Amino acid sequence: MSGRHTGQPHTHTVEGTDPQLYVGVHEPESDSGLRPVLLLHGFSSSAKLNWEDTGWITALLEAGRRVITVDLPGHGRSGAPEDMDSYSPSRIRADLLQIAFDAGVRPLRDGDPSSGLDLIGYSLGSRLAWEFGATQHELVHRMVLGGPNVADPLADFDLVAAQRYLADGTPITDASTAGLLKLAQMLPSNNIFSLLSLVEAIKGEPFDPAEAVPHMPMLLVAGEKDERAASMPDLAALGAKSGAMVEQLVLPGRNHTNAITSRAFKQGAISFLGV
Amino acid sequence: MSNSTLEGGAAASTSAATPASTTVMSMQQALNRALDEVLAENPRTLIFGEDCGRLGGVFRITDGLQAKHGAQRVFDTPLAESGILGMSVGLAMAGFHPIPEVQFDGFAYPAVNQIVCQMARMNYRSRGTMPMPITLRVPSFGGIRAPEHHGESLEALFAHVPGLKVVSPSNPHEAYHLLKYAATRPDPVIFMEPKSRYWQKDDVDLAHCDANDDGASPTGAKVQREGRHLTLVAWGAMVARCLQVAGLAAEDGIDIEVLDLRWLKPIDAEALAASVRKTRRAVVVHEAPLTSGLGAEVAQLITQSCFDTLKAPVERVTGFDVPYPSGDLEDEYIPNIDRILFGIQRVLEYKRG
Amino acid sequence: MAEISFPLPDLGEGLIEATVLEWLVAPGDQVERNQPLVEVETTKSAVELPSPQAGKVVRIHGGPGDKINVGEPLIVLEVPDNTAGIVGTVPKEEAPKRRVRLSAVLDED
Repeated sequence: MSGRHTGQPHTHTVEGTDPQLYVGVHEPESDSGLRPVLLLHGFSSSAKLNWEDTGWITALLEAGRRVITVDLPGHGRSGAPEDMDSYSPSRIRADLLQIAFDAGVRPLRDGDPSSGLDLIGYSLGSRLAWEFGATQHELVHRMVLGGPNVADPLADFDLVAAQRYLADGTPITDASTAGLLKLAQMLPSNNIFSLLSLVEAIKGEPFDPAEAVPHMPMLLVAGEKDERAASMPDLAALGAKSGAMVEQLVLPGRNHTNAITSRAFKQGAISFLGV
Repeated sequence: MSNSTLEGGAAASTSAATPASTTVMSMQQALNRALDEVLAENPRTLIFGEDCGRLGGVFRITDGLQAKHGAQRVFDTPLAESGILGMSVGLAMAGFHPIPEVQFDGFAYPAVNQIVCQMARMNYRSRGTMPMPITLRVPSFGGIRAPEHHGESLEALFAHVPGLKVVSPSNPHEAYHLLKYAATRPDPVIFMEPKSRYWQKDDVDLAHCDANDDGASPTGAKVQREGRHLTLVAWGAMVARCLQVAGLAAEDGIDIEVLDLRWLKPIDAEALAASVRKTRRAVVVHEAPLTSGLGAEVAQLITQSCFDTLKAPVERVTGFDVPYPSGDLEDEYIPNIDRILFGIQRVLEYKRG
Repeated sequence: MAEISFPLPDLGEGLIEATVLEWLVAPGDQVERNQPLVEVETTKSAVELPSPQAGKVVRIHGGPGDKINVGEPLIVLEVPDNTAGIVGTVPKEEAPKRRVRLSAVLDED
C-alpha cells in the first residue's frame, strides 16, 4: 500500500482527552484535484479489513483521490480508552471533525473541487457518516453509505447476556447479539471489552436518522441479501423528503459481509463522488 | 572471449572463425548446462535446495534437472538453510558430492554454523580422512531491486574462514567453466553467482576456459581487457561494469586493464602483481561495504608486491558501510560508472610528496 | 514462456478456505502485478486478492460460490521465461552513461 501513515495514534486532544485514533493518509500518484475521501469502517472491522484488503484504497487512489482512513476506538490500530465517553457516537463525530481538519480538509467553497470532504461509510460507519453529514453540511460534499439501516442493530444488543457469556459461558438467547459477539471475537485486533463499551455508548445514543437529516447528495448501497440493510429504502425516503438527492444501488447476490468487495459498489461510489 | 580461439600456431591459422565449441548462452543456461554435465559425469553428485527440484530454482538454474536426473539426485528441501548445509556435510562424509543451493546470499546466515564450524574444517579436524567435496551455490550481490537479505555480498566473510575456497564468475563463459571446475574439487567451494548478470547472454567456448589452456583448471585471475595506464580489479557483477568504464576511459585517452579476480580465496597475488607492475596504478571495485571488505586484502597484496613502483595508493570504490539498502536506493549504493571514474581520476591525479 | 500456478494464499488468522465471490479477470487477460484478480469471502471478511506477478491469465480455478482451500490452485499465469519465479526485477541492459570525464597528463616513465 502506497499510503503514508501518521505512524502513531492520532494525538490531537478533543475536549481535553486523547482519542488515540489511528489515522492513515494515502496520497494518489496522480491527483485528480478533487477533495479527499474519508472512509468510516463498520463495527468489529478496521480500516485495513474494511477498506485496504477489499481493494477500496487502491481503487480510490487510482481514481486520483486522496484517502483518509481512521480506525474507530477499540478497533484496528487505534487505542482502547477506558472511559465510556470516548466511545459515544457524538464524541467520535467530534474526533472525526478534528481528524479531517488535521488532514488539511477545508470548508466547501463554490467552484473549488478540492474544497470540502467526501465520505464513504459502511454499516456502523454509515450511521456515523449520516450524522456527521447532517451536522457538517459546510464540510461534506457528497456521501456514499454502504449497508445502511434506519436503526442501529447494536442498539438492540443484549449487553448483559454478552457479559455473562464472556464471564461464564452462559449461552446467549438473542441471535443478533450472539452473532455480533461472535463477529467481534473473531479478530485478534479487536479489544472485546472496548467493543462492548462502544455498544453501551451506542445504546446511550441510539441512531435516530430523522432527528438530523443530511442535505448533500447521497448514494445508498446494499447487497440484495443484506438483511441488516433491509430498511435502506426508508432511509432514502427520509433523505429525499428533506430535499437531498438520493440514489440507491442494490448489489445482486451480495450480503452484509461480502457486499464490501463488490466492484459495482466501488465503481458506483467512485463515479458518484467524482464530481 | 575474444582470445579464446588462440591455441598457438595451429589454431591461429584457422583465422578468426569462432570455434565449433562456442555457443551463445545466458549465465542461467551456462550454469544449468554445467550442472547437467556434472550430474551426468559423476553419479555421486546431488543437487538440492529450496525450490531447486520441481520448480527448477527461483532463477531457473536447476530447471529441468530433476526431470532428467531424477528426484533422488535433484530435490527440494525444507526452508531451513542450516538443514541444507548440515545434510551436505553428512552426505560428503558418506562419499557424495553435494551441490546445495541457498536461495539468496542473505539466507546463508542461518547456515553459518554449518559452513564455518563443520564444512570448512571437517577435513582439518579429521586429519584429512574426511574431505568435504561440497559446492555451495549462493546467488549473490545486488542489482535486481529485491527485498532485504537478497542483495548481500558475503565474499569477505567466507574468504576469512580457513578451509573454504570462494569463487565468483563474471560472465556466462566463466560461469560454465568455474562451476564445472568447482564441482569437481575435493574441498568446499562457495560459488557466488552474480544474480544481476544471470540474464546476460554471451559467447561460451565449452571446450576451453582460458586462452592457450590445455584443458587444465581455470584457477587464478584473468585479464578480461588489457591496458597500460591503470588496473581495475573486480569480480562478479562488477567486472561487466568495469569493462564499460574501461570503454569510456578509452574515449579520454586512458588505457585501462580489467582484471577479473575470479577466485576470491585464494586470491591470485601473482596476477595482481603482474598487472600492476605494468600499469603502476590500481583501483579495486566491489559491491560489499568498504570496511574490512576484500578490497583491503587486494590493496595490500598489490602494495606488498608493487610498493616501489606504484604511482598512487590503491583506491577502493565500494558499497557504503550500511546494511544493503532497499531497491529504490540500490543505484546509489552499488558503485556506478561515475563513482568508478572518480576513483580512477583520484589515482591519476595523485602526486607524491 | 512458462506457466506458473499461484495457490490461494494464506489469508491469516488461521483461515483455511475461502469462497469465490467474483472473478475480476478471465483467461486471456493480461494482468499487471498488484492488479485485483478475484474477490473471495472467508468466515471473517471479504477480500480482494491482488496479482502477485504480471502475466497472461491461462486458467482460473473455481467459480462464484466455490470453496477453495488455502494452498490449492487459484490461478495460472503465463510469464516470460526469464521472469519465471524470480524475486526482484530483471535488470535492463543499457548503454553506459557518464557525467565524469577523466583528465590526466600521463608521464610514461
